[in-house]
Amino acid sequence: MLRALWPRGYLFTVLGIAVGMAGLVSLGAMAERITRFIDGGDRFVLGQISVAGEGMGMGTGFTAGGLLPAAKIAEIAHVPGVAAVQAQVMLPLSTTTSHFLTLTQELILGIDLSVPMPNRHYRALPVRAGRFLRPDDRRAVVVGADFAASRGLAVGGTLPLGSLPFTVIGVLDKTLTAPDRFAIVSIEDARDLWLRRDPLLVQVFGSGAGGLGRRDLNSGAAVGWAPGVDPDTLARRIQAEVRGVNVTIPGELSRLLRTSTAFFSALLFGIGALGLVIGGLSLSNTVTAAVFERIRDFGIKRALGATDLQLLGEVLGEALRVSVGGCAGGVALALALGFSVDARVFREGQQLFLFSPRLLLFALGFALLLGTLAAGYATLRIARLSPAEAIRRGS
Amino acid sequence: MLLRAVGLAKSYRGAGAEPIPVLRGVDLEVKAGEIAAIVGVSGSGKSTLLSVLGLLEPADGGEIWLDSERVSHLGRRAQARMRGARIGYVFQSFLLISRLTAWENVLLAARYVGRDRREAEQEALRLMERLDVLHRRGHYPAQLSGGEQQRVAFCRAVLNSPPLLLADEPAGNLDEDHARVILGEIRAQARERGTTVILVTHRAEAAAEADHVLRLQGGRLEPS
Ligand SMILES: Nc1ncnc2c1ncn2[C@@H]1O[C@H](COP(=O)(O)OP(=O)(O)OP(=O)(O)O)[C@@H](O)[C@H]1O
Ligand SMILES: [Mg+2]
Repeated sequence: MLRALWPRGYLFTVLGIAVGMAGLVSLGAMAERITRFIDGGDRFVLGQISVAGEGMGMGTGFTAGGLLPAAKIAEIAHVPGVAAVQAQVMLPLSTTTSHFLTLTQELILGIDLSVPMPNRHYRALPVRAGRFLRPDDRRAVVVGADFAASRGLAVGGTLPLGSLPFTVIGVLDKTLTAPDRFAIVSIEDARDLWLRRDPLLVQVFGSGAGGLGRRDLNSGAAVGWAPGVDPDTLARRIQAEVRGVNVTIPGELSRLLRTSTAFFSALLFGIGALGLVIGGLSLSNTVTAAVFERIRDFGIKRALGATDLQLLGEVLGEALRVSVGGCAGGVALALALGFSVDARVFREGQQLFLFSPRLLLFALGFALLLGTLAAGYATLRIARLSPAEAIRRGS
Repeated sequence: MLLRAVGLAKSYRGAGAEPIPVLRGVDLEVKAGEIAAIVGVSGSGKSTLLSVLGLLEPADGGEIWLDSERVSHLGRRAQARMRGARIGYVFQSFLLISRLTAWENVLLAARYVGRDRREAEQEALRLMERLDVLHRRGHYPAQLSGGEQQRVAFCRAVLNSPPLLLADEPAGNLDEDHARVILGEIRAQARERGTTVILVTHRAEAAAEADHVLRLQGGRLEPS
């Protein structure tokens, strides 16, 4: 069966196409990886309204430095249209790294587990092993896929955070975006870590000065909206009605994110275009050359009575098999390449390639279309010659 | 089948702009079951004439009739049908397809005319047996001697028992014995099946088989 389908005498044609398609698929897989990252971040910020205390910090949302006291959280919850408010504490894992580039930074995220996850697009984070946190979990951590991979963590393992030992109770599936680098704990634990880090805070909260307590130790909150409510409008309403808070408008943040990733999008477009050109040229070139190489055979077949249509059918049939074979070879090559590269960078918790089904489908369609067009074109060129002429040219 | 050619002209574009006239008004009539031998010096245009008669390339002028049909003026598709169903060629340079075995090359003749495959295979077996190449059926052309290639090419040419057989030096590469076998086959095709045969040859004994011997000279055919 397979032998019958194998296009005999086309080994080098298939190999030639495979190399081009491997280029196309691996470049495409890198582009897909970046797209998924950008889209994932976008989905996240569009899924919730992030609120932070107005403070001395820079940045927006819960990466800002200000505190969001419990009273403010209660106020926000009363704004019409708000469905849920979840207090959060977000800390950079390493105190030495900068606060910038929070999308690629490793973070400790403490969340108030008594409130359901407010993010519309991440109602629950996908857990690959173990389970997610429950409200009464303490000194327990759920880690993102990259976070776990770079440290060799598994469920049951121990992760020291700020010199406190945490038990890993869950590992998340790869989301290819921010949560991959999160260590998620209960908000109580996060507050402990925060206090240990910042002796000044201990003084303030220990003394009860300014009427602040432990409950007020939040870096921000994620706000969910009721069905039918426009999030941007609601965000503006919160900003107007609640004093002393910093509200991010999801739509604006998304736009901001898009602008800041515009370079990547352009890069991506370049990579994709390059892949298409390389793969496309190699494929159409190889198929056309393979058809022209058989010009003498065409002459002979026409002498034996083959009509243009019969020849075209034969050529297209072979071109399709060659293109599919080349495409399969290219995909195999790209997968082998991609996985071996990813296996090397995996220890640093990186992934460079994403071989998505839509990418592979596109590559197959692309190969079929271009293979057909190239073969059809070459056949029509040859059909213009008389059989005798074709035989002479090909000899 | 009656083959009739009237005033065939053909010239090739030369190295310069000057066309090289090869055929300058060839008239020819061969009746069903007759063998016409064409002789002439090398380069006189014998292969060109066969190629034009076989609808492998268009003439610049003149007409070709098969029975009552003016085949020289048919459309592409109809000419392709003619070539497949009515005309068999034995090319001077065999023209086997190198990626196909001897067996597949012979059966290729049946592919485009929609002939029953089983029946064509039976016929191919008989022919290759008679021409002593059946034991080479699984070989590729490159693995065959010149004479073997020629015999395989002959089998392909007559597989469909075409009413018109055009043979360009069909015994050119063969030793006496095998040449006799092929010439015998050709004679049998003409005598038993009524095949019209045009035979380009240098061999005296081949010409002796023919009903007419014509000489191509100066772009015209003359009785020899
Ligand atoms: N495609 C072509 N382009 C230009 N000239 C050609 C072409 N084909 C043939 N000729 C010329 O036409 C003339 C006739 O060639 P042809 O092959 O018909 O000769 P021939 O009689 O079959 O010779 P031979 O006995 O050597 O086979 C030759 O002078 C040849 O050079
Ligand atoms: Mg010749």
